[in-house]
Amino acid sequence: MDHLLPPDIVEAGHSFPAELAACGDLDALLRLKGAYVGREGSHAARLMELLKLAPKEQKRDLGAAINALKQQWEEGLKSRQFEIETKKKNRKALAASWDPSLPPPVPAQGALNPLNRLMDRLVEVFRPLGFHVEEGPEIETEAHNFDGLNIPEDHPAKASSDTFYLAAHPDLLLRTHTSPVQVRTLLRVAQDLGIRGGVRFLSPGRVYRKDEIDPTHSPMFHQVEGMLVGHGIGMQHLKGTLEYALRALFGPHTEIRLRPSYFPFVEPGCEVDVSCPLCAARGCRVCKGSGWVEILGAGLIHPKVLEYAGIDPVEWSGWAFGMGVERMAMMLSQTPDLRLFFENDQRFLKAMGGLD
Amino acid sequence: MWIERNTLAQEIPAISGLDTRQLCEMLASLGFPVDEVATREGGEVLDVDITANRGDAMSHRGIAREVAAKLHQPLMAIDALPVVEGKPAVEVRLESLACPIYSTAVLDLGSGATPQEAQSFLRAMESAPKRLPAVDASNELLHRYGHPTHAFDADRIHGAVSIRWAKDGELLVTLDGVKRTMTKRDLVIADESGPIALAGVMGGDGTKVTETTRRVLLESAWFDPKTVRATARRHSLHTDASHRFGRGADPAMARVARDLLVGRLASWCGAKLSGAWTAGSTPAVGASVTLDEAVLTRVAGESLSMPDAADALERLGCAVEIAKGRIKVIPPTWRHDLSSPEDLAEEVLRLRGYEHIPSVLPPLEGPPEPLSPAYLQRQRLSRRLAHLGFHQTVSYGFISPEADAAFTSPDNSTEGRCLANPLGQEFSVMRGSLLPSLLAAAEQNLRRGSREVRLFELAPTFVSGPQGPSEHISLGLVWGGMLGGEDYLSPARPVREADLSGIAKDLGWDRLPEIRSLGENLFGFEIPISELPQAADRIIPAFRPFSRYPAVERDLSLLVDLDQPYQVLADTMKSSLPSEALQDLRCVDVFRHKSLPEGRQAWLMRMRFQVDRTLVGEEIDGWVGAALAAAESLGASLRA
Repeated sequence: MDHLLPPDIVEAGHSFPAELAACGDLDALLRLKGAYVGREGSHAARLMELLKLAPKEQKRDLGAAINALKQQWEEGLKSRQFEIETKKKNRKALAASWDPSLPPPVPAQGALNPLNRLMDRLVEVFRPLGFHVEEGPEIETEAHNFDGLNIPEDHPAKASSDTFYLAAHPDLLLRTHTSPVQVRTLLRVAQDLGIRGGVRFLSPGRVYRKDEIDPTHSPMFHQVEGMLVGHGIGMQHLKGTLEYALRALFGPHTEIRLRPSYFPFVEPGCEVDVSCPLCAARGCRVCKGSGWVEILGAGLIHPKVLEYAGIDPVEWSGWAFGMGVERMAMMLSQTPDLRLFFENDQRFLKAMGGLD
Repeated sequence: MWIERNTLAQEIPAISGLDTRQLCEMLASLGFPVDEVATREGGEVLDVDITANRGDAMSHRGIAREVAAKLHQPLMAIDALPVVEGKPAVEVRLESLACPIYSTAVLDLGSGATPQEAQSFLRAMESAPKRLPAVDASNELLHRYGHPTHAFDADRIHGAVSIRWAKDGELLVTLDGVKRTMTKRDLVIADESGPIALAGVMGGDGTKVTETTRRVLLESAWFDPKTVRATARRHSLHTDASHRFGRGADPAMARVARDLLVGRLASWCGAKLSGAWTAGSTPAVGASVTLDEAVLTRVAGESLSMPDAADALERLGCAVEIAKGRIKVIPPTWRHDLSSPEDLAEEVLRLRGYEHIPSVLPPLEGPPEPLSPAYLQRQRLSRRLAHLGFHQTVSYGFISPEADAAFTSPDNSTEGRCLANPLGQEFSVMRGSLLPSLLAAAEQNLRRGSREVRLFELAPTFVSGPQGPSEHISLGLVWGGMLGGEDYLSPARPVREADLSGIAKDLGWDRLPEIRSLGENLFGFEIPISELPQAADRIIPAFRPFSRYPAVERDLSLLVDLDQPYQVLADTMKSSLPSEALQDLRCVDVFRHKSLPEGRQAWLMRMRFQVDRTLVGEEIDGWVGAALAAAESLGASLRA
């Protein structure tokens, strides 16, 4: 029938699919719609004019051809419109969508100090045995730091080469261990020790010794000491408690070993080794191949320490232990340099301390 | 100290059956851990750690005694030929109780040198042989038997020798070439021209044995430990001799060591004895100590056989009597550390092995004590701050006076907090504030490339007082750098003072905190934690009813002067509103822009009302009008 139609319209009919496909949005589609099937000046309108003027015998065939063309165009436009609208809807949905793999806002993360965490852990371990925490000042008297602990008058630790003293108060010093807390506590509870049924506590804290700063020494460090006073307390109770505590810290298969040693404030005294927690006692760099790591010093409280506090050493006895927190932290973490614990680098604190 | 295995075996042959590891383990189980094993002069040497109470173990003989007691094996006898004593060749006067016995001899030295064997033993002890037989023999005896002796050049001694207290200001050049000024608390050996040795510490340079020495005067004495310790410390002169006398030597060894020295010099260099004698006598033996069965049972944690315990003490050299469940002991002359029943119980356990001690949890005799509120408060604070993104620091309690002065109140005297003997000026003042340490740490973190730094410390600060400094636990906090900008939702911005105020408020600080500007975008504050809330006494507070009716919010945008204090405006507005209805009033936005009238800013004030009924519009309009009027009374105006 194409011969009945003007050639430019036939041409337009051929290019319609390509033009339709080129419409990227509704505006372009509306323009195309206007050009093909609009009320005025469109290809369809011109065809309708043509049909009006056509000779009668041609009208039927021409009409059919025009209708077919119009229908083809209208259907094409409609389906393209649907396509464009769907695409737009999809894009809108996409814009509101969330990619869970994008880095999200994370609340700021701080960290407890690793030394505090370790001390807190020790307190947690001893709590179920009825231990509480006693604390004391960092500036102490000679009496609390030395005399009350059976440390002789001329002990080298008292020398100004070992202990920091205050310039304006020659009788005051920076405590060299947390043991003065034991003296203070014993003095405080001596009167009603019977009513209390003895006493048991831990004393974590900062202590000072006149050591130059190097990878293994610091003029300030932390200790945790423990003390228990009761009736009939002997070495078996020290061993039992430490076995419980060190297993709670390092795992149920941990073994402990007591070796005789000497500290003026205990009798008998001992060093306590623990089976190396890093190599399960198979032998490594930390335990120097021995399978054992020295972890703390301990012993039965010297009768003179109890007497100093006004406690009868015939009726009462007890044990005490003390451990260096940094030493233990370095051993457990294999931190190569003690100074890192006092540099307060956020990267170190985050990695070593973390949160509970 | 160093112990040479072969020499030890000469004292206690039974160790030949042990390998080095077994020997080390046995020594550790006896309280003498071995720090190191080395090979020297073709033999093994052990670096044995000896505790301060065991001066008697500071020799091969001393360690051998311990091993022999542990192994139930005999010790070799000391091979000393007793020297026949006669008339003093030089008068020796004991003028102080600090030296009860002084054994001596005069010898004419022959020709001959220190034997190779003795030289190599000394080298194994890290003590260079002097190739002077009198000196080397004395050193060899020291390491072998633990008793310090000394040889003087007899021809350089003038007249009688006395062991006396020095006079204040007396001078002595010691063997190390140092000229020392004595005090009257130093015990010296003196001839008629003055001091020739610091007793038990070091000999004098003027009477020392040299290549030209022909005649020697030997000294083998016993000096009071306290006196020797004090002199060694006073002159900072810690020697092999002072360590041993200072911890207590064996007085019974005075004569024996002299005899051994005479014997060695005779065989090494053909020395001829021209006279030997002893001034004074061995001091009385130590007092007896009694060990009750009850004490032993209590310390040991189980009932032990008393005869076995007595046997153990006997093996250690004690004279033992056992009767009626008690062991009465006279300690051997070399043990000055056995003075209480507990000391004896320890010896019994030590020889038996601590591995046999049973393991028992102590019974609870009374109610446990709770953790103190102050301790719990610090635990809570540090956890809260860590969860808020802050890192807990630990820094030294002493800082430099300059750093301290920048943050510590001027009425907190620096002098009262100074150390007498600091490690250095930068560690000389007990800090009055935590901020200097936190600032230093923050700057270091920023320098090392941190975008943001958040630190806190909980530690004592020190306040000078007439009785010495008092301690107050403070919370110090610093925050600086850039916030946010690390993800697609949080814009980057510098840290502001208000951020720190928010933290203080979060911790329960209900006042305006003093926020210190410490640098560009770096701020800090410090709060005494005694002023922060502690845990409430009630686990759950009393119930307070709250309205189930909806709350109504109204905003007022106000133009106020740039210098209008916020708190004053907020308080004025609050006071114009019914307190039972006003739930909250706060500024939720601050707008400063050149489009606003000059000198003015805009504050968006938000009020929230809630009562136990439905609120009606007119009622609220009335309240808002009153609040506006109150604001206007301070010069504010409604923003158009």
